[in-house]
Amino acid sequence: MPSFFLFDVRLQSGMSADEMLRAARRFGYAGICIYNEDEAVMPSPDINLDPSVHTGIEIRTDSVSELKRKLRRYRSRVPLIVVHGGEEKMNMAAVKDHRVDVLTHPCGEKWERGDLKHQILMLKYAARNGIAIEFDLNPVIKSRRSERARILRRLHENLKLMRKYHVMPLLTTNTRSIYDLRAPREMIALASLCGMEREEAIMALSEIPAGILTRRWKRGREVEQL
Amino acid sequence: MIMREKRRYILFEVISEGEVDKHGLQNAIWDSIYSLYGDTGASESRLWLINYDSGTGIGVLRCAHRTVEKVRAALACIHSADGARTAIRVVRVSGTLKGARVRARARAKARRERERER
Repeated sequence: MPSFFLFDVRLQSGMSADEMLRAARRFGYAGICIYNEDEAVMPSPDINLDPSVHTGIEIRTDSVSELKRKLRRYRSRVPLIVVHGGEEKMNMAAVKDHRVDVLTHPCGEKWERGDLKHQILMLKYAARNGIAIEFDLNPVIKSRRSERARILRRLHENLKLMRKYHVMPLLTTNTRSIYDLRAPREMIALASLCGMEREEAIMALSEIPAGILTRRWKRGREVEQL
Repeated sequence: MIMREKRRYILFEVISEGEVDKHGLQNAIWDSIYSLYGDTGASESRLWLINYDSGTGIGVLRCAHRTVEKVRAALACIHSADGARTAIRVVRVSGTLKGARVRARARAKARRERERER
């Protein structure tokens, strides 16, 4: 079995990284990646104790200039940089910048259908710069009826385009607590609802996150040397 | 011609904020499977909750062998039961009820011991 990694983990108050890692290991993950919200750059001391816990920073902003400023600021301090997308201009700015590792929520909170030309351009840039795009299954779990059908359709369309332009998908469930955890095989079953093949889902949970983390470690060493 | 359809027994573990009783869990599972696959999909899955211990949160579910992955996805879609935040983890899929029961007993025992140590 490959080693599975869970990205997009955020710790709620009162929960330690250690507890989350223990729960994730019980579910079958080899490691987790915790995203810190903007500004909280320095992780809590216990996070660095276990090598299976990785940390990154998620940049949330509505302005491109602010994004650039934050990327400049965090690039030398944080090895893994994640950008919260949504708006077309933010998605595009994020994927054009090779300093970004992952783009999250590219469809935004409302899951509206965007401009196809723009989407294609965004995916081409993401593929060129090696930026993974998050494939969040949490809305599939939490929604019901027509809303779920709409989300599944959007995910299906996105997946088709991602396949065509060879963009790396990253399977996540927006984990805030242990009740949001889903085991890798459950994630694979959920991903199949969006049309993802079993092998693709395994890659999106193992090889792709591991690749991102390896790059991160390389960059981490570069940061240390600097 | 084979008349009897093959079955699979899913050993699962409920991780919940509070205690979830059998009735509440059954409702959550059926609600999830109806919502995801509709009436025909739910009937094809031939789902049946064989046993569930609300104390340890461990139970066994029976389904048709062709629909194991569908049931897995439906279980993953459960995020609350009896008003409490819940996650269901599939521990093992077995071909016989005996196999599932043996592992369920072992797991329940281990879980009780772990809780006693705490």
